[in-house]
Amino acid sequence: MALTAALGNEHMNALNKCKVLMVGAGGIGCELLKNLVLTGFTDIELIDLDTIDVSNLNRQFLFRKEHVGKSKAEVAKESALKFNPDAKIKAYHDSIFSSEFGLDFFKGFTVILNALDNRAARNHVNRMCLAADIPLVESGTAGYLGQVNPIKKGMTECYECQPKPSAQKSFPGCTIRNTPSEPIHCVVWAKHLFNQLFGEEDPDEDVSPDTEDPELTADAGKAALDAEAKKDSIGGIERKSTRAWAVETGYNAEKIFNKLFRDDIKYLLSMETLWKERRPPQCLDFHDLPGKDTQSLSTRSTDVWSVQECADHFSRCMTELKQDLAGRGDSGMLVWDKDDNHAMDFVTSVANIRAHIFGIPLKSGFEIKSMAGNIIPAIATTNAIIAGAIVMETLKILVGKMDKCKQVYLNRVPNDRKRLLVPCALDPPKPKCYVCSSKPECSVRLNSSKVTLKTLKDKILKGYLNMIAPDVEIDDGKGTILISSEEGETEDNEDKFLSDFGVGNNTRLKCDDFLQNYSLIVSVVYVEKLEGEGEFEVVGDISECHPAEDEASASTNGISSSAKQTAEEDDDLVVIEDLEITDTNQALEIEDISESRKRPAEDVQPPVMAKRRAAEGGDSEDIIEIS
Amino acid sequence: MEVEDNMETITEDEAELYDRQIRLWGLDAQRRLRAASVLLIGLKGLGAEVAKNIILSGVKAVTLMDPNMIDEEDKMSQFFVSSAPMGQNRALASAAPAQLLNPMVKVTADASDPSDKDDGFFAEFDVICATGCKNSLQCRLDNLCQEKKIKFFSGDIFGFYGFMFSDLGRHEYLHEEIKKRKKDDEDKEDEGITITREVTNFSRLEDELKFDWTADTPGMKKKIRQTPSAFFITRVYEEFLELHGRRPTVATMDMDTKELQNLRILVLNKLGVPAKCIPEDFYKYGFGELSPVCAIVGGVLGQEIIKAVSQKDAPLNNFFLFNGVNDEGMVDKVSL
Ligand SMILES: [Zn+2]
Repeated sequence: MALTAALGNEHMNALNKCKVLMVGAGGIGCELLKNLVLTGFTDIELIDLDTIDVSNLNRQFLFRKEHVGKSKAEVAKESALKFNPDAKIKAYHDSIFSSEFGLDFFKGFTVILNALDNRAARNHVNRMCLAADIPLVESGTAGYLGQVNPIKKGMTECYECQPKPSAQKSFPGCTIRNTPSEPIHCVVWAKHLFNQLFGEEDPDEDVSPDTEDPELTADAGKAALDAEAKKDSIGGIERKSTRAWAVETGYNAEKIFNKLFRDDIKYLLSMETLWKERRPPQCLDFHDLPGKDTQSLSTRSTDVWSVQECADHFSRCMTELKQDLAGRGDSGMLVWDKDDNHAMDFVTSVANIRAHIFGIPLKSGFEIKSMAGNIIPAIATTNAIIAGAIVMETLKILVGKMDKCKQVYLNRVPNDRKRLLVPCALDPPKPKCYVCSSKPECSVRLNSSKVTLKTLKDKILKGYLNMIAPDVEIDDGKGTILISSEEGETEDNEDKFLSDFGVGNNTRLKCDDFLQNYSLIVSVVYVEKLEGEGEFEVVGDISECHPAEDEASASTNGISSSAKQTAEEDDDLVVIEDLEITDTNQALEIEDISESRKRPAEDVQPPVMAKRRAAEGGDSEDIIEIS
Repeated sequence: MEVEDNMETITEDEAELYDRQIRLWGLDAQRRLRAASVLLIGLKGLGAEVAKNIILSGVKAVTLMDPNMIDEEDKMSQFFVSSAPMGQNRALASAAPAQLLNPMVKVTADASDPSDKDDGFFAEFDVICATGCKNSLQCRLDNLCQEKKIKFFSGDIFGFYGFMFSDLGRHEYLHEEIKKRKKDDEDKEDEGITITREVTNFSRLEDELKFDWTADTPGMKKKIRQTPSAFFITRVYEEFLELHGRRPTVATMDMDTKELQNLRILVLNKLGVPAKCIPEDFYKYGFGELSPVCAIVGGVLGQEIIKAVSQKDAPLNNFFLFNGVNDEGMVDKVSL
């Protein structure tokens, strides 16, 4: 009664007929579900695979301490039913990528509301909504900032029309291995060490001194000779993998410590060129560490541990992780997880020991967790505001006024037109979008004689282009099948290189994903060697892609507006809470689209959709920086 | 709200619970939050949102005060009591579900009428937030707060419209700025944080409302044009509340609509602003309290309380005005 009066008959009629799907029951999701139930949505389904963690409770208000470990979707449903016991809510504790949620499932809803925390799921839902032709309201928050994006096939930009900058800052291998100068370099090294010792060994995550450091090329001949001699002199350690050697020592903390923090550092010191302009690192000995005279052993995450305390934690973690690993069976491995105390304390202690060696300030476990875990701060108020804005836009969609919808951005401070919430006109679809255009195409720059089918499948198609189960054939008239989503059909070829199948410059690959109802032509652009460290680079639009022979100019222009991406992504990049920012110090550059001069949003961190702000009126606002 | 140097450090339990927000505003801000007592007057939809946000943030204590009974409108926005039987006192019925949000915060309820309380009662709070109160009460509380150096907030929601007002007196805060610096020796940039201590002065609500919109000063036309529509619209509802001691209701919709139309003219005349400042059909969108509007205004208001208490970041000075009909969420100060 009161609701009808407040909303008007038009809205009420639409609400009574509407069936809504909420994807995600986390920070935004809890607030959104409350708003939906109170606003009179009575037919709601929600999906979330996640379970409740203590660190959710400061904002995900449908959950309490006794719910920790339980399904977010289920508990959210139960809590929200208390707001309106008559609401019909169906909860799925499941992954949105599951084939259970196919096209027909999506077609059963009036509107889909995303309340997600990672880009992979956003991309997937975007494609499902495009395929099903159902309107989608996309959203995200990061600390004090947030945004809402209504999306409709053929009418607006899709979630993937604007290339997203890489969420992960990557650092040159030689900085990580030889010349760290910031805490983050030590944190990255510590995570690499964890994987070398306990996780999946990745040659790109080598932790030993890098003899191919470009800085050494000044006296390359000598350095190389020295390097060979030195390697042999340290007991042939370098010839084995770090893992094999560690296993042989029985994960002996002292031996591993002295190799990493004494012998390897001595070896680094021998690369004298590196230390001409830098403070040289200082070797440590396991039995003679700073702080050894105090008996304390802090376990507080907000304290900065002394080097001795770090070494003690290092020893403890080594024992604990060895046991964790043994529990996984013979070929088992550990996956680094910020919420696993052994894994986290290991990285904290290792990063700080290395920081001490290089004269870099030590950090508390709390701070290192932010860096290592890519934790993006999240607060209740921002989520509440954004969830409110989602419902305001959804109401317009329900009464057929999608044209009145706006993208809404929440600023930290009002802009110069006094707006804290900034509505922006919706943009039409980008004609060459590799997802929503009628014939999606993109280009990938790579060296086809060095990239394997496995890399094509796992890193490019699944990892970067977000397919779930791709089928790939060469568009050569013969239909040579490279990858099949049917199990057992093409696995044997996975270690072969693309060139083994005749893939080279200008080869067109037809890539299909049955679940997403998505087909993409991938054109290969052959490059001998990429500028960065990655194995490939995806370029959304062919016209933006420079030919192989024009590498020099490609590195300085052109690609900036494309989804430039190295393959060196961290696996936890996608597990980012509520579309948040890696650290609070990150300045967001926000873009103005009131005129056609769009700029790439270089510094926008994680999955924040390409940031643009504008005022409807056409007043131009300069790029503002929000801290 | 004075934070002593020897104040207890945050416990590991608190660090775990408040992890994601401490990473945003820091340990010092969290410590200040933990020392703050808040009086929240008015437990309708907006009040419930504010209560949720500040209880989750980890203040020391929140007193929920509302002399009124749960009514039909609460179903659409007051999630603490949206399915509770009507006729119970709103504050008392809200206390238990509010407490569940965070056991570390002391939540109490008071069913008395704030107008009946003497000045001494209010002195014990660090923050007073008055929602759904008559304008005269808001002004009285604001003046009282400034005498006693208490941070004052008020706000209300009318259907698609809402506002927040704050008066922090002379407010000191830390301002963090991230600046990109060029490193001397290299081409690389790095980011440095500079922290400065800043001061902002606020105006009293009664002074803001006395502002002379008819003054013949340069730029007045532009000022009127740039003032958010929700400012003028919510003045009509504030006038209604003041005159009738109640909000427009669905049960009395026809009568109230006429009164709102009359009051529109009255407000336009009183302020001396052009008729287009308040759209003629404004009244269609002002019944009840829409849940998403409560969430938006309550989110902003909650965050402003957190900022005021933690003395971190520039506060919004001094109105936040939301108009859900045209997606406007703006910050404005009437007097300059
Ligand atoms: Zn698109």
